Amino acid sequence: MSAHRVQLCRLKKILIANRGEIAVRIIRACRELGVSPIAVYSECDRTALHVRYADEAYAIGPSAPRDSYLRIDKLIEVAKQSGADGVHPGYGFLAENRDFAAAVRDAGLTFIGPTPDAIETMGSKTAARTAAMRAGVPVVPGTDAPLAVDVADADIATAAAAIGYPLLVKAVAGGGGKGMRTVTDPADLSGAVRAARSEAGAAFGDAAVYIERRLTRPRHIEVQLLGDAHGTVLPFVERECSIQRRHQKVVEETPSLAVSPALRAAMTSAAAAVAKAVGYTNAGTIEFLLDEDGRFYFLEMNTRLQVEHPITEMVTGLDLVRWQIRIARGERLDLDPDRLLRPNGHAIECRIYAEDPDNNFLPSPGRIQQLRVPAGPGIRDDSGATAGLDVPIFYDPMISKLVAWAEDRPLALSRMQRALGEYLVTGIKTTVPFFTWLLAQPEFRDGRFHTTYLDEVLKARTGRPFVEATPDLEDVAAMAAALEAVMSPSALAAESPGAGAGTVSARRWRTQARAEGLRSL
Amino acid sequence: MQYEVEIAGRRRQVVVTRAGDGFAVSVDGRTRQVDAARIDAHTLSLVVDSVWSADVSIVADPVSGQLTVHVGSFPIAVTLNGRRRWGRRDEGAGSGTGPQRLVAPMPGKVVRVLVKVGDLVTARQPVVVVEAMKMENELRASREGMVADIHVREGMSVDAGALLLVIQ
Repeated sequence: MSAHRVQLCRLKKILIANRGEIAVRIIRACRELGVSPIAVYSECDRTALHVRYADEAYAIGPSAPRDSYLRIDKLIEVAKQSGADGVHPGYGFLAENRDFAAAVRDAGLTFIGPTPDAIETMGSKTAARTAAMRAGVPVVPGTDAPLAVDVADADIATAAAAIGYPLLVKAVAGGGGKGMRTVTDPADLSGAVRAARSEAGAAFGDAAVYIERRLTRPRHIEVQLLGDAHGTVLPFVERECSIQRRHQKVVEETPSLAVSPALRAAMTSAAAAVAKAVGYTNAGTIEFLLDEDGRFYFLEMNTRLQVEHPITEMVTGLDLVRWQIRIARGERLDLDPDRLLRPNGHAIECRIYAEDPDNNFLPSPGRIQQLRVPAGPGIRDDSGATAGLDVPIFYDPMISKLVAWAEDRPLALSRMQRALGEYLVTGIKTTVPFFTWLLAQPEFRDGRFHTTYLDEVLKARTGRPFVEATPDLEDVAAMAAALEAVMSPSALAAESPGAGAGTVSARRWRTQARAEGLRSL
Repeated sequence: MQYEVEIAGRRRQVVVTRAGDGFAVSVDGRTRQVDAARIDAHTLSLVVDSVWSADVSIVADPVSGQLTVHVGSFPIAVTLNGRRRWGRRDEGAGSGTGPQRLVAPMPGKVVRVLVKVGDLVTARQPVVVVEAMKMENELRASREGMVADIHVREGMSVDAGALLLVIQ
């Protein structure tokens, strides 16, 4: 890292190259810093909350991400047009795309995140593993370089034997569980490599794969980091992210029941060492796997802000997005390192998705009719959703991140249960009933889980709905339906106020109006 | 008014009769006194037997017509009168008896009141025109009867769920 003097820059206008709840989150940090937030929106996001909260809003194209939120050229054009001096990429989309970070830099703007080089190094799973090993941090046993396309099956088999079974074939450019194959039987290896290559090529445009040992019943423990431009890298108390459905996190909490103060010191030091070794700046997270006998291994690094950052904010009292902007301005991380490692209380987050948990978590797009979000002590809801808004089909169907904080884990769990009981969403299906069920499971309450726990327990209960009402509740529902039919029969027939042009309601109105020769839409 | 309500595969007979300011609601013969206060177009606050409070939202899926009743935030799929799809036939309570209470299905403005108190109306006769979403919408009597109460006048703005007329 060069020893040039770091210039402080003002950053008065930030373009948020994202949407949904994270765009709203970034806008909030901008507002608190007196920075003007600029929003971009695709066609279906015209009335989204982030557009309504911003100072300026620019249309960037059709709804599909590749036509809008992934268009580097359009985003740079809007940044220039609006006079923005900084760009925040959020998470997902272009957040870990080194070409985007470079394009922002080349346009003379400040990228609120790490350097393009850091993104490139840590974005490659194999390069990241090498960096970790150089920093003296243990990595999950695996191949240290991507498997060349022309490597003979016999050579792959030899490498795999050295790594040990069961193992995972993984995409080098991968993420989100795509391009991954588990192999338990050596006979399945070459077929799995072929399949993983094909899937990786389709999902990421890069078919390179590598092999990694699959640990049994590990926990996913990650460490948040902040690095400034002056060489300081500070790690935070760990996040426990083992509750995953098909490799997607659904519940996160901090601190982890499985991490003692000594283990915390070791893991956070290791994370900081890796980040320092690659000259990492701004926010990032290092993911570890913690196996049953307490050994941890570097898995990968995410060179961006994470979805679950609110739980870290709740137990440390710090605003991570604000710090991202301050770091980008050139400010120093003048924080007490111990404060970041000593959590105050316990925080847990449930990702509320527009999915039907009783139908294999199939996305449930459509119009949110009513949205009554919980509040009260220790409750935080980070959302981009509002009543009357359609949940779009083009992006992940997140409604909000519901976070509960309390003095200890049992209180945080009961607070979360209380909040879930208040969370009313009508018009679409959500995962709220699933979380109500999950938080009541003994293993979850005791903290006895690992990365395949949720998939296993969901498989064991297939077919039974999460929402099983008591006879009393059913009686109330029966009375309610009958009373509504008596009190407002046409209210039931005509659906919701503000129903859009595509719904049955508006169609029926139009038919009636035309038939009577009245004025129609 | 009598309904057959099906929840989770089990059918219940529900009878609703007016009792003072509220209702007497019997479910399979067990009767409770229910005070039902409207909160918004889809939400009722129920107080059962003067003690138990239940917050309920009743929503019909705009595409399938399937009813979902949220008790608190707890969703329960409900079928009324053996038809999962509500609103496929005429507006109104189907085989119900008793007064017809016409309400505004969405916020709008009363443009014309087509009847007066005491008029006899036939089934499907238009009784009031409400303008909403830039269209004029005629609301009709579902069955024959006599106009008993008119709660609005021309030019008045109404909220969703607002009572417009009662036909006996």
